[in-house]
Amino acid sequence: MTAALLAQGLVIGLVNGILYVLVALGLTLIYGIVHIVNFAHGEVYMLGAMGIYVLHVAAGWPLPLAMAAVLAASWAAGVAVERAFFRPLRGQWLQLVVASVGISLIAQSLSWVIFGAQEKYVPSYLPGVVQAFGVRIQLERLLAAGVALALVAGLYALVHRTRLGMAMRAIEEDEETARMLGVDSDRVASTTVGLGFLLAALGGALVAPIYSINPGMGLETILMSFIIVIIGGLGSITGTVLAGLLIGILQSIGALAFGAEAATILVFGAMIVVLILRPQGLMGRA
Amino acid sequence: MRRLLLTAGMVLTTSLGVLTAPPALAQKIFKIGNLSPLSGPGAAFGIGIQHGAEMAAEDIGVFQVAGERYKIEVLPYDTVYDPAKTVAALNRALYSDDIKYGFILGAGVHGAILPIIRQSRFFDMFLGAAGKSVTNAENPTVFRFMASSDQLYSTFTAALYQKLGVKRVAFLGPNDDLGKSDVRTLRELIGTLKGQAEFVGEDYFERGAKDFGAPLLRLLALKPDAIDTDAAPTGTVALIAKQARELGYEGYFFSSTAVLEAKPIVDIAGKGADKVIAYRVWSKPPTPLYEQLAERHQKKYGEPALGTVWEAYGATRWVVEAIQKAGTFDTIKVADTLAASSFAGHPFGPASWGAEKTYGARRQIQTPLPASIIRDGKWEPLDVRVGTME
Amino acid sequence: MNAARLVVALVLALLPLLTPTYAQHVAIVVLINAAYTVGVYFMLRMGYLTLGHAGYIALGAYTAALVSTRLGWSPWIGIALAPLVAGAAGWGLGSLTMRLRGIYFSLSVFAFGEIVNATFRAVPALGGPAGVAGLPRPAFAGIALESHLAYYYLVLAAALACGTFLYRLQGTRFGFALLTLRTADEERLAQSIGIDTPRYKAWAFAACCAAAGLMGAVHAHYLRFVGPSIFTFLYSTDLVVFAMVGGLGSFAGPLIGAAVLTALGEQLFSVGYYKSLVYAVILIAIILALPGGLLSLPQRLRRAR
Repeated sequence: MTAALLAQGLVIGLVNGILYVLVALGLTLIYGIVHIVNFAHGEVYMLGAMGIYVLHVAAGWPLPLAMAAVLAASWAAGVAVERAFFRPLRGQWLQLVVASVGISLIAQSLSWVIFGAQEKYVPSYLPGVVQAFGVRIQLERLLAAGVALALVAGLYALVHRTRLGMAMRAIEEDEETARMLGVDSDRVASTTVGLGFLLAALGGALVAPIYSINPGMGLETILMSFIIVIIGGLGSITGTVLAGLLIGILQSIGALAFGAEAATILVFGAMIVVLILRPQGLMGRA
Repeated sequence: MRRLLLTAGMVLTTSLGVLTAPPALAQKIFKIGNLSPLSGPGAAFGIGIQHGAEMAAEDIGVFQVAGERYKIEVLPYDTVYDPAKTVAALNRALYSDDIKYGFILGAGVHGAILPIIRQSRFFDMFLGAAGKSVTNAENPTVFRFMASSDQLYSTFTAALYQKLGVKRVAFLGPNDDLGKSDVRTLRELIGTLKGQAEFVGEDYFERGAKDFGAPLLRLLALKPDAIDTDAAPTGTVALIAKQARELGYEGYFFSSTAVLEAKPIVDIAGKGADKVIAYRVWSKPPTPLYEQLAERHQKKYGEPALGTVWEAYGATRWVVEAIQKAGTFDTIKVADTLAASSFAGHPFGPASWGAEKTYGARRQIQTPLPASIIRDGKWEPLDVRVGTME
Repeated sequence: MNAARLVVALVLALLPLLTPTYAQHVAIVVLINAAYTVGVYFMLRMGYLTLGHAGYIALGAYTAALVSTRLGWSPWIGIALAPLVAGAAGWGLGSLTMRLRGIYFSLSVFAFGEIVNATFRAVPALGGPAGVAGLPRPAFAGIALESHLAYYYLVLAAALACGTFLYRLQGTRFGFALLTLRTADEERLAQSIGIDTPRYKAWAFAACCAAAGLMGAVHAHYLRFVGPSIFTFLYSTDLVVFAMVGGLGSFAGPLIGAAVLTALGEQLFSVGYYKSLVYAVILIAIILALPGGLLSLPQRLRRAR
């Protein structure tokens, strides 16, 4: 493995990593605050991408409008799912997990039926390649990574600098006390889930033109998100960011050196190691 | 109480099985199974087979065997190109729906079903690229109704490399049996070209993968001027082309997949789609029948005909002709009759069987075959040869 | 009670003789899934959701496949080794991860299942992406169990063995102790009176995995083929759906859930994605409207009257 190859792998890994982080953040947010593992997260990501295809490519809407529509719809879906499924099952963790698995299955099956199996393509948001120090990177990937980075920073600001964020953190610490102090935990819950869904859908919308779109694309993403969230620590934003970048790089370099399957095993293995040695993740609380 | 529930459960289940088992086969219908991907990435193949066989059934109408009249029905079984589902589909076709003839698509799924085929003598109208592992002396009822990768390589490769000035060839194929055996064939073939061209390297991708950065980076370091993508489907070729061009590759791509459409490649790779070469794409119709079928397909199904449509049409007509000649539906007798015959009604041109020496049995179809190249976003003819193999 | 048992025994033993081959196929698949689901249920009783059961099934199935094709040994050896391999893996992973609660455990089993599949897919010697084909059928008294009918009895025997094993285990002191582990608090209480809970849990997990392995081997010889596309996360979730739909109140729950949904699934076969859709809709409906599962239906109806 030459230095040039290594450099290329690193850069690609970082870019992929930040995109993973965007999706994983939604997952960690939902878990941290509402204590639900959202198995349907991958499907939300897929529907974000599919939404852009349907509105922008098939129906011809201008891109900003399509984006806005997808984001609004995902937020609404998150709020609806929280109210209809998560809230009535609050406290029953088994039913919650299984229900979210069920929702993910429904979303995926319906998508196969409605959208069909043909791969869909979205034209590039920013065609072209940039080259520096022997490393080539597609502009559309840089764009996606840039937007993701901005959102991560925004989310961090939201959680640590706003009242909503304070309410979220309060509920995460101790919901009973927070409620007693007047925090409307129901509204925070649906806001959080809405936000989580929005982040996932945005991730899908950003990635849409890079590869192709099909109803099964959520599965790989959610696997990655779980790994990242576990390694980083369920509920910790910093942890998710660190873990996401680490996993992105590990996967990219691993694939270059050993092949895609080996990289997958490496990444899953890392997750098991963390689970065994430090189950709360790198930055999670015990 | 619990036991009662348990009993009820088991009785319910077995009765469900009994009650929903289909009625005895109506004598006047000849059922042909279509065991191929009808959803998922390979769906174009399976749907093409369905349409081609249906159009052939229309043209045949009612046919006579041993004094009885038969109508043809083509029944779909979605295998999603998955070996386990193909096993289940074949079991269902054989034991539940009483089907003895069918299209089974995919070399990758055949490993699992060949034992079943041998035991049940199911007549397998095989569409898939792999060679000796599937069509050989041990599987008398398996016929390959399209050109195998070996046949494509031996028919075209030397001529095309010379025509295009290709000197350094790399292989990027699916990480399965098909990919592993095709790369061997290609490497051996290039070896016989005595220095005209050189095989510089190989790499693999997982079926369904979307990011080919890693294998492309490794291969492009070897500076090939042609990359053979084996039987990767359209979507995969499109992504490979796009990503390779982004990494600075300017050479040719070769594809031996059954259905390769130009539009998706152009959609996703833009100008980068140029210099993609496909072996099975006819950019000029070889026979009037081919053109008629294309128009009919568009009218009847509302979409353009692709790849497997013509192969399935030709196969269905030829097999029914063989059944009539043999005077029976016994698959072994029909197999013998078919292997000894040639056929003038194939959409590609005159068809016969070959590859007895290479594969050990006359089970490989031989027809005129095309090679086309994308120029300015459209297919243009590159070469036409009759596929032959000893 | 005994009359009911007799009826059950007769139905299971004789009905297949009267039914067409396809119904025998359905019965076989139902029994296989029922045996798997009982293992999942056993874990759920303890408060552990296993989302990677298919990984242990795969270990058993591949053991049988490789032993009978690569080594050429009698299928019975593979079937005997399978539970040992799967059980050992279960004990190993169990010891390491059973101190994790809830979702962490579930995700670690899930990860293990993915690793198992990825490994089998990546290593050509273990079959690679195409899997291992051409498994022979085991022979009984000199005759190979080639037909569906003959194989049905082997499947029945294995399923009964697994089911009875786990059922008896549940009735022992060990089994009762497991019930005390459902939450972290309960577990601490159990530990305070001297129950070595991590060891108990590891052994319990090992028992379930061994049963899964045994049934996996029988499953493999039925299909005459194993591959990485069969025992996937989707299969694991199917098993959980069976258990939840059947109901977690008693051992009959997983059996009913598996029987009903598998039979339903076989009928919806040709419709591809509709099967998952139907399963998922039924699951959500049950969770929201009938949390006790199908098992609790008679009670609910009685109460409604």
